[in-house]
Amino acid sequence: MAGLKLDRVHAAFGINGVDLSVGEDELLVVLGPSGAGKTTLLRVVAGLLPVASGTVHIGDRDVTRLRPGLRNVSMVFQSYALFPHLTVADNIAFGLIVKDVPKAEARERTAKAAATIGCEHLLDRKPFQLSGGERQRVALARALVREPDVFLLDEPMSNLDLELRVETRAEIKALHRRVGGTMVHVTHDQTEALVMGDRIAVMRDGLLEQLGTPEKIWNEPATTFVARFVGSPAMNLLPGDGPVRPPDLFPEPAWLIGFRPEAVVLGQAGDPLGSVTRVDVVGEDSYVYLSVGEHSVVARVPTAQRPHAGAAIRVGVRRPSVHLFDAATGRRT
Amino acid sequence: MKKLLLPYLIGLVALVFLPFGVTFALAFTEYDLINPPVWLGTGNFAELWGDGIFRTALKNSLVFAAIAVPLRLILALALALLLHRRAFLGGTGTTVAALPAAIPEIAYGLLWLWLFNPLYGPINQFLAGSDGLTVFGRTPPGWLTLPNDARAGIIIMSVFTMGEMFVILVAARRALPGDAYELAAIEDATGWDIFRRVTLPLMAAPVGLLLVRDTILSLQLSFTPALVVTNGGPPPYATTYLSLFVYRNAFEYLRYGYAAAATVIMLLLTVAAVAVQWRLLSSRRL
Repeated sequence: MAGLKLDRVHAAFGINGVDLSVGEDELLVVLGPSGAGKTTLLRVVAGLLPVASGTVHIGDRDVTRLRPGLRNVSMVFQSYALFPHLTVADNIAFGLIVKDVPKAEARERTAKAAATIGCEHLLDRKPFQLSGGERQRVALARALVREPDVFLLDEPMSNLDLELRVETRAEIKALHRRVGGTMVHVTHDQTEALVMGDRIAVMRDGLLEQLGTPEKIWNEPATTFVARFVGSPAMNLLPGDGPVRPPDLFPEPAWLIGFRPEAVVLGQAGDPLGSVTRVDVVGEDSYVYLSVGEHSVVARVPTAQRPHAGAAIRVGVRRPSVHLFDAATGRRT
Repeated sequence: MKKLLLPYLIGLVALVFLPFGVTFALAFTEYDLINPPVWLGTGNFAELWGDGIFRTALKNSLVFAAIAVPLRLILALALALLLHRRAFLGGTGTTVAALPAAIPEIAYGLLWLWLFNPLYGPINQFLAGSDGLTVFGRTPPGWLTLPNDARAGIIIMSVFTMGEMFVILVAARRALPGDAYELAAIEDATGWDIFRRVTLPLMAAPVGLLLVRDTILSLQLSFTPALVVTNGGPPPYATTYLSLFVYRNAFEYLRYGYAAAATVIMLLLTVAAVAVQWRLLSSRRL
């Protein structure tokens, strides 16, 4: 197994100098909004898009100018890209067949990959007879069968319903633990990223915004962008000298104070007064949208303790749960 | 809603079913447009069976279909795969490939009459060297004078009018999903493998449909060229196809019954060919 290293990679469609290295048994999740360049990055690694400058290494091989077929990577597409005219077995074996692997060996490896994924009972079916989840498994088995150095997964769960998605992300993580290898998983779903990733690379406008473990991304977001992109509802960001700030924090107008909705304290004497504009009940928890002066704050409170819309209530936050950012650069200070 | 189908239904009955019924009935009669039809039973079919000209026409039509249909399809598919990308000169290429199909058949035939001319036609001028022989040392083809060369000529004429098939196949190729090809690239499939294992199976439906349709049309395709360019010759009947045979009998010899019987045979042949292809295609269905 190998590992993957990108060195100052520039490419068309908005990859503007990405440095990234993924360990040989690591599952890296690339997270970002639409248009951030996540899928483009994956296609650059696969060799489907040419690199304008910089280098791509898989293990110690420089694959920057290598055609996709020689890179020993495999890819699971968002659409799964299964061939409708082939059975599941032939779909899985496609890469082996075109590489002229002997038939008996191809059959054996196909059966093994199918067993690993748990789709051995589907081998004789055609893709149109499969459910979305089953198709996704077949696409995974096909990615597995060639034992590639790098697995690339391009939003493979975006076509699944929520329940199946929750199940599948655990399965893919477990699969990765079993088979090892370098895996790069692209998603725009922050929960998926937090649950699955050994590390998360947050992308924005073709650049890496932050690279770190899920804990690090959650607890120490490097920029206001990461802070607001990860977490739902998004983190509150207020001016350093604004109304809502920890009482023991010296106000500094060049700062932005960030705090998650969970950290908002409601109804404590001494805090500034705000008014409730809207309350969304989401099961156990409720999201309370408040306006404090000219600023908006979102709080997450247990539904039983939610205030009513229109009520006036004191809004505050305490020292340990705030993040400070430089207002000019958006970077963590 | 059902009322909206009425005009179509009337058209279908008046222009398709009625003529078909009349033709079918006439096939069992002798009819010359002047005297009332005379019932012959299966007499026309018996006469066709023994008619050497009919047999020649039948053979000519079958050979033509067996060669021209696959050739047209292969050329249309090859050009579609070559020109489906929006690239430099791609638009020009597409226009050039599609254009011959847009020329009126008679004009197209007259054009080839000139192209095929053995003395001053550009094809033979191109083929013949200064000694009047081709590079293989034989005389250039006698497109209008030798039976086999004339049959080849009619096939060549028909091949270049595959423009409509080409346009359909370009559209079909453009509709194929890009990720299938990206996957093939990642799995390192080579050009031939990509064609055989990706492109062709994914385009099987439109290609199969065009094959069936072109087979149906093939009995008519040869009509205008044979009439305009070779006039059914070289003598006696080298390029007399079923369609021309029917035309001659009906409109030149005024033997409507006899022509109708030949038409019925033509129809049965078409149905048989389509049935065979349909079965072959269905057995390979998804």
